[in-house]
Amino acid sequence: MADYGVWLINELSLAASDLLNPSKRVSIWYLVSALFFAFTLFLFRYGKKGIGRLKMLFSWRLWWHPSARVDYGLWLCNRLILSLVFPKVITTLGIVTWLMYQLRELGLSPLPVALPDWSVVGLFSLCYFLLDDFSRFGLHWLMHRWSWLWAFHRVHHSAEVLTPFTVLRTHPVEGLLFYGRSLLVQGALVALFVSVFPGQVSLLMIGGVFVVTYVFNVCGANLRHSPVPISYGKTIERWLISPAQHQLHHSVAVEHYDCNFGVVLSIWDRWFRCFQFGSDQQTLRYGTLSALDQASVIGQYVSPFQSIKIRAKKKTATATESRQDSPLA
Amino acid sequence: MKKTILTVLIGASALSAHAQTYEFPVSLPDYKGDATSSVSYGGQIARHALHNSLKKASTSGDLALMESYFSSKAEGLSILDPVSKKGFPIKQSSIDELSKGKDLMSGAYPGVITGWPGNLTGPEVLQQMVTNAANTKGGYDPVNGYDYTQLISKFTMGAVFYNKAVNGYLDEKLEADVKPNDKPYSKGAAYTGKEHVWDEAFGYFGAPINGLELTPKEVVQIVKLNPEYFAKADVNKDGVVDLKTEMAFAHAYYAASIDASGKTNYFHTILQAFYDGRSLIQDAKGKALSAAQREELKGYANVIGVAWQQVIAEAAFKYAGSVYADLEKIAIIEESNGDVKKAYRSYVKHWGELKGFALSLEAAGRDLGRAQSQLDRLIGFSPVLFGNAQVIAVNSKGAFTQSESMTMQEYKLNMLKVQNLLGSHFALTAKLNDRTGGMDDVLEQLKSGPSAEND
Repeated sequence: MADYGVWLINELSLAASDLLNPSKRVSIWYLVSALFFAFTLFLFRYGKKGIGRLKMLFSWRLWWHPSARVDYGLWLCNRLILSLVFPKVITTLGIVTWLMYQLRELGLSPLPVALPDWSVVGLFSLCYFLLDDFSRFGLHWLMHRWSWLWAFHRVHHSAEVLTPFTVLRTHPVEGLLFYGRSLLVQGALVALFVSVFPGQVSLLMIGGVFVVTYVFNVCGANLRHSPVPISYGKTIERWLISPAQHQLHHSVAVEHYDCNFGVVLSIWDRWFRCFQFGSDQQTLRYGTLSALDQASVIGQYVSPFQSIKIRAKKKTATATESRQDSPLA
Repeated sequence: MKKTILTVLIGASALSAHAQTYEFPVSLPDYKGDATSSVSYGGQIARHALHNSLKKASTSGDLALMESYFSSKAEGLSILDPVSKKGFPIKQSSIDELSKGKDLMSGAYPGVITGWPGNLTGPEVLQQMVTNAANTKGGYDPVNGYDYTQLISKFTMGAVFYNKAVNGYLDEKLEADVKPNDKPYSKGAAYTGKEHVWDEAFGYFGAPINGLELTPKEVVQIVKLNPEYFAKADVNKDGVVDLKTEMAFAHAYYAASIDASGKTNYFHTILQAFYDGRSLIQDAKGKALSAAQREELKGYANVIGVAWQQVIAEAAFKYAGSVYADLEKIAIIEESNGDVKKAYRSYVKHWGELKGFALSLEAAGRDLGRAQSQLDRLIGFSPVLFGNAQVIAVNSKGAFTQSESMTMQEYKLNMLKVQNLLGSHFALTAKLNDRTGGMDDVLEQLKSGPSAEND
């Protein structure tokens, strides 16, 4: 019992330490930098009047909204659940080791001509960024396409208000899918690179954080889940997803369904023809327009399984009916 | 003016470096003898000489000769290694000149060594290796894949030197009620209890007293008895190298050879901690150490213990890489129907070095957690042999039993896992002979921890 208490306190304090961890999006530094980013942009675009657009960020109605409270609950509960699951699942190191061994057995060997370290670091960082961003887009896209995946992902979309902590409003099954995705991407890429460039592979880092993650977070990534619509303008939005574009993704309006799945780059959305421009002036309503929007933390956890069960029952019933209707029956 | 200042600075730094040789005067206020130095670790150097000599003897097939260095405590034994050579004369030629009545077996780690078949204790494992070596040609057993010269040498260093120092002198013997500093170590001794405890640990590490003045490369060359480095070794300029004070042995040599890569500083880190710890004891001037002083001393002991363990792990890491390379060579030779005899010999040698160092890690009473069982399983009781077999047990008569195992090429994957395990568990940095391509460093950069961040 005492051990359980220590574990609980340890995990919760680790969750709280995310607020100071520069590799986490909800780090207080990134929250401040996002605010500064929005302040500067609005000041530049609309003058002093523009600053008023940030007013809603300081309202307790936003931060203590029932939906926001569910965000906090899921964040802390997921931390406890995933801490039990993570050490038990297969590790990235194990995957990379096995893949590298297989690649070598297939004849992949170090490049005969040694490239300078900086070029290997640059190439690896670029490939990692592109593959990571595309795979995030791909998994997100699938979550909206496959009904059993959507059952879990709609927990994230059930947020009626968006705060930076909505990024952690995730069903643990979805969390495991994210883990699996990152395992595959990191495993494959690292195995390939360390086989071809042994001892030279490294990421471009700033303050212990991947340079792209750092720039993305400093430049207002937290505004994606916020009530403040910020567009980058059409030219930039063709390449980079703006907070306003991601907010469109959360919109309940039918015309916004299944758009803007990207994280950093918007080119994937253009390729998959699910791209929409954002606007500073957009007024949106968020959620799924279902009872899930008002569900508690437990309700959020249980709902996907209920939804899958109902769907499976319906499928069985339809199959039975069609068999009965068949002329051969 | 600038030149003068520079000269003074160089002079001052040379003086301070000289001050950091491991030499300390008598501090006991009531000492009545003639000795001027309170440093004494002749018994430890005698054991180093016994180890070096046993390694030489292990290829002889002469059990009596091996036993004489391993467990006999006999008088009149010649030092088989290191011995004088042209341009590199050595002061001592017999073990008795260093210390009398010493052996290796009685100092070995008494716990069970899980990484070796038969649930044997440290001394039993060593005894079995010595006995088996005598039944082979040149210490080489190709049937079971054992190079006893390497196994005996590497495991002796861990089970005796590392164990005695880290598990004894730098551990329980630093407590207040054990060998106190306000009493001579023994009646009439020129050194206090704590001084001698500390010095014995220093002796087991095996560094020359001027180690802090030497570069790692110089230490390596001194061990190789390179005449060009004789002047560096001969600290007191008496024309001979004194094994007690001017030679490097065992893990001190390995620390220096790893540091020679330029990536680490184990040798000087350990030596500095030994020197600082000894200075702390010296400054107590023969009085009992206070609780705060003992805590500080334990801090130095911890630095030594951690770095010493890393040195052993680095060595195991290096040889896991060698085993991997040997297996690659064997595959290439087999494909071209060539003669694998030489490559197999090299594989068995490197495996013996890997295994000896890996066993050493578990032979000092330090809790390795899951890493110990993982290392044991990944490396196995023997290398994977031709015909995909591995030693799995030893019978009551001491004969090894083999059973079907993975293929030799699949065993390469185990070597990658061994390197990853050693690298992460012991926080290694030199990682010589790395076959993993540095993957764990990259993954460390990518690590994000348990959270479920959405898009």
